[in-house]
Amino acid sequence: MAYDSADDMVFGRSKSPVSYGFGLKIGAGKVIPEINYAPRPGTEKDPEKLRKEYVDYISKDILDRAVTAGFPDVQLETEWVSQMNQVKLSAPVVAGQEEICEKYHEEYGINCGVRQTIPDQREADHGLRPGMDKNKAYPEKLFECAEIACENGADNFSIESVGGKEFADYAVTNGDIVAFLFGVGYLGSIDMTWIWEQFVDICKKNKTTPGGDTDCSGANVAMFMAGGMMDNDVQRTFSAVTRCIAAARTLCAWEVGALGPDKDCGYEGIIVKSIAGKPTAQEGKNCQCAHCDLQGNLIAQCCDLWSNESVEYHPEFGGSSVQCWLGSLGYECALMNTSLQMKQEKTLRDLYMYADRSRGPEAYVLAYDNAYKVGQAIAAEGEHLYNRSLAAGLTGAKIILNGYEKKELGLTNKQLDTLKDIIKKFEALPAEEDKFVEYAVKEFKDVPNFTMKNYGL
Amino acid sequence: MLSCEGADFTQVVKRYDIDSQVIATPEEMAKKMLPKDEVFRKVAEEVLYMRFKTVGPVVMEALKQRNPLDVINEGLVAGMEVVAKLYAEHVYYLPEIMMAAKTMEIGIALAEKQVPGGRETKGTVIMHAAEGDPHDIGKNIAAVMVRSSGYTVIDMGRDVPIVDFIAKVEEVKPLFASGTALMTTTMSAFPEEAKILKEKGINMPLMGCGGAVNREYANSYDLGIYSEKAPQTPLIAEKIRQGYDWKRVRDEWDSIVGGQ
Repeated sequence: MAYDSADDMVFGRSKSPVSYGFGLKIGAGKVIPEINYAPRPGTEKDPEKLRKEYVDYISKDILDRAVTAGFPDVQLETEWVSQMNQVKLSAPVVAGQEEICEKYHEEYGINCGVRQTIPDQREADHGLRPGMDKNKAYPEKLFECAEIACENGADNFSIESVGGKEFADYAVTNGDIVAFLFGVGYLGSIDMTWIWEQFVDICKKNKTTPGGDTDCSGANVAMFMAGGMMDNDVQRTFSAVTRCIAAARTLCAWEVGALGPDKDCGYEGIIVKSIAGKPTAQEGKNCQCAHCDLQGNLIAQCCDLWSNESVEYHPEFGGSSVQCWLGSLGYECALMNTSLQMKQEKTLRDLYMYADRSRGPEAYVLAYDNAYKVGQAIAAEGEHLYNRSLAAGLTGAKIILNGYEKKELGLTNKQLDTLKDIIKKFEALPAEEDKFVEYAVKEFKDVPNFTMKNYGL
Repeated sequence: MLSCEGADFTQVVKRYDIDSQVIATPEEMAKKMLPKDEVFRKVAEEVLYMRFKTVGPVVMEALKQRNPLDVINEGLVAGMEVVAKLYAEHVYYLPEIMMAAKTMEIGIALAEKQVPGGRETKGTVIMHAAEGDPHDIGKNIAAVMVRSSGYTVIDMGRDVPIVDFIAKVEEVKPLFASGTALMTTTMSAFPEEAKILKEKGINMPLMGCGGAVNREYANSYDLGIYSEKAPQTPLIAEKIRQGYDWKRVRDEWDSIVGGQ
């Protein structure tokens, strides 16, 4: 564990800060707003239109507003639209954003930089590894995108990889936690390790900071389908446990050399920060432009970047959408940074945390004291991918049950039944990885698009 | 950590999910809804309780005593209708829907073999995720719900090229088609598809769905209709089957989807 105790973790400070871009220092004593955006539909059809959208409109608007409002730091995040797997569309955007950041840094002294998040378009049915997808060659394009991003000046390189997605889809819709454990915790971890070994080399070659990854296609799908108080297509106890398992997977990128920060939609960031001490990006109450969640305050508790998730570029009364949401992020960061300057950060951290601790099981297990315990369970299993994923899930489930029994956290009957069933299923699994894999391969042989070849096995 | 002693967090958070939960068990709620006939009830219970490993023998036994179409409609489909009601009442959730549908489909496949000339479908629906879009979980859920409602679904998968989609529509001539998109830059496939269909004289409703799509967008081009959530799709399908065109679906959308 990077921290001796949960109480040592705060927002704005990490054990291993990273520096990149034009003066950005992440996790080095302040929280920095990270603004993410989507271009207007139609702009992706033409390289010059897309460059203009990202650089001349979106990036310029952001940097202008940061200067207008007096924000000392801002990180931009470009999550590539799928069409940007063509170099003619992506290269001018990456290079243009780098150029405009440098201009504003030189002119105003604002610390800034861009995270380039490439798309992972690989499909399990066509193959996740090079040479398998004869039709669209998405595995090859994945690494081509990494090269394009890094060669053209990405300050930070990240991705939301899809290893294990075929299992996550099946597990979430069928309520099968063991399938999630196998697909995301085991197979997804193998995939993330494999892609990041190569990404880190590409980043090093181009002096780009390798940031991180998340299980957006699994744990986030579970969380969004679990939804709000009255949705519950998926039980929130189920999604809370998937989040813990996802932490064991997200850690893989950092283990093979990524430096952070990880991705904002990885709500498991608090768990991996407790283990590795690298900075984490998070999103919550200031990402309502993208979605509602049930831990909007709590999730700010130990963040180093504070994100809006994403907003489509369009006009609002207060300026363009990116300007408005940067304002929202920037002022929240200003509050956090004021508390750091006045040595009140632990008080603010705890206020954020208590505001949502009882809002649901996802928030409860991610409260920093509980997240730290999940981190300990992962760390205790070292590099054993299955065992640490199982430990994360089982520990998370027991923390939630304990919270319910102590009356700190309410659960519906269905949420409780689901939780108890998860614990029962986990406790019945073998302790040895090879026995589990042997069992899972047989048990899940009919899961659509499943083949061990996708994972080099 | 700050002490929270004395703090009343019910003043901060209201757990509507706990306050409004239905306490009745599926068994209690289903009792009045299951078929009266014992043979059909046994078949319906297989679906209701998602017994996909035993539904086969139970259906085969029922087929000895009742005609196959009745086993399908009065047993398997009736069981699924109870599942749908429990889902609407927040007693069952998505995993139960998926497993019950799987159970029903196993049973239907067995019974259908004994229907001379095959079972009549309510209509054919084409579903796809937009070109460039790899996200298809919502489409897959909707496909299960539409299929469970008695339609034949042709699922073209994800990242479907516009030309392939158009070719399939021309070939199959479905009741309607749906497309899902989670990205604002891929949903633009739908107006393009609609334009080509119109040029070819095909006046079929084209349902736009998915996280990126909203009602305003789906209604912004000819042929376009909207479905916000998977359970709404069979309700809209039923109206199209009754003869509603895309304009009438749009006009009456609020009342068609009701509380879903």
